[in-house]
Amino acid sequence: MSEDISRLMDGEVGGVEDHAAWHALRQRQGMLTWTCYHAIGDVLRGEVGATRDLSADVAKRLAAEPTVLAPHAPAPPRPAAWAWAVAATLAAVAVVGWTAWSLVDATPAGLARVAAAGSMRSSEIGPTTVSTDYLLAHQEYAPSAILQGVGPYLRDVAVTREVRP
Amino acid sequence: MRGIPPALARRAASWLAPAALAVVLAAPAAHAEDAMQWLLRAAAAARSMNYVGTIVYQIGTHVESSRIAHIIDGGRQFEKLTNLDGPARELIRTRGEVRCYYPDAKLVRVEPRTFRNVFPSLSGEQRDTLSRYYDFEVVGDDRVSGRPAEVVVFRPRDGLRYGHRFWSDSETGLLLKARVVNEAGAGVEQFAFTDIKLGIPADPALVAPSWPVTPPDWRVIEGTPHDLAVEDTGWVVTRVPPGFSKIMEGYRKLHGRPDPVAHLVYSDGLVSVSVFVEPAASARAPAGLVHQGGLNVYSVRRGDHLVTVMGETPGATVRQIANSVEHR
Repeated sequence: MSEDISRLMDGEVGGVEDHAAWHALRQRQGMLTWTCYHAIGDVLRGEVGATRDLSADVAKRLAAEPTVLAPHAPAPPRPAAWAWAVAATLAAVAVVGWTAWSLVDATPAGLARVAAAGSMRSSEIGPTTVSTDYLLAHQEYAPSAILQGVGPYLRDVAVTREVRP
Repeated sequence: MRGIPPALARRAASWLAPAALAVVLAAPAAHAEDAMQWLLRAAAAARSMNYVGTIVYQIGTHVESSRIAHIIDGGRQFEKLTNLDGPARELIRTRGEVRCYYPDAKLVRVEPRTFRNVFPSLSGEQRDTLSRYYDFEVVGDDRVSGRPAEVVVFRPRDGLRYGHRFWSDSETGLLLKARVVNEAGAGVEQFAFTDIKLGIPADPALVAPSWPVTPPDWRVIEGTPHDLAVEDTGWVVTRVPPGFSKIMEGYRKLHGRPDPVAHLVYSDGLVSVSVFVEPAASARAPAGLVHQGGLNVYSVRRGDHLVTVMGETPGATVRQIANSVEHR
């Protein structure tokens, strides 16, 4: 399990939601491992002070919100700005991954955010993140775009499921 | 050759010539040029060929199919991408702009964007990087979409990059299939044509949107034109991974963000990594790592700024870059 989580942290696990690493995160031990790895990373980066154990809270919240981890889950009604951000995320699967990550962010800012989140749904913390703005800007300089034309846009267009203006 | 009939000697020479060529291609000293020639040929084909086809994009067990059309009309490139699975999405690339149609939301997003010619401007330094950090090899022949294809691989020599396997059309050089593999050799992401027609007439109907250019009752979100100002941003990556060098730096205005975002691009000649820095006040993203297929994105806070690093590299690479971003 630790190995799965380590791979997850290194981005080597696919966006496949039934991967063992995602299952590991739904268990308390998995969350502890995850948080621990994050804390180690923070200490290595000199971002000390991130010592609060979030894993129990986070595991409880994840367990209470199974739909958040389901790909292509229908989004509850939201303001337009937020909705566009969802449309602009890389993909529904990426939203799932991002949500899980942001919840256990162990940086001081992340801790403060989660603490402040209190009554927020986890989905409100997560998906307003990696936007098409960044993706489009990046792809202008991605050599693969030169080889494949709009091919890399498949990442955005083909798998963007939710749009709510 | 004494004692061997001249005709047979000539035959032997013609058999040996390809073998000799193969030896030359395999020589390490020739790798950088071979890799460059392959990339330039594929890039030229992608810019100049008319084609329509079905392209399949695969991440893990997730598969999506799209129709793609690309024509050259009046010296300009036009491209249309329509997905075939899930809610309809359509992307039209015309003169310096990309229009994304979301019919279920009655939404058009217009981006005044174009593609930069990264490969032809590769510096000598980047050519060296290609051969120093990747082993380039022409693996052999295969078929893709019913067409003969040449298979080449770029094998990374360290854990900071993914491996790439490309299938290019033997006749034209056009990329027919591309696979990104991780250090374990497992596929991370794959694009492949499942059918393709090459060398078709440049019919504008092939790349016309399925809706009016701007449908009257749709919402339009327009990006800011001329949004990139190339300048020194003051932001630096102190621990740039080996082989990567900066190819662009500037500020850009992005939709929904009041403040300009600093954008730095690093490349190892085959892939690129973008560094975005925005004031935390306008930042909407928490810190963390997310990835889709071969694209990893890592965000981290730096004081009152949010740093987001995005690239076609393993997670470790974008993390290292993100964690070493500082302001001079």
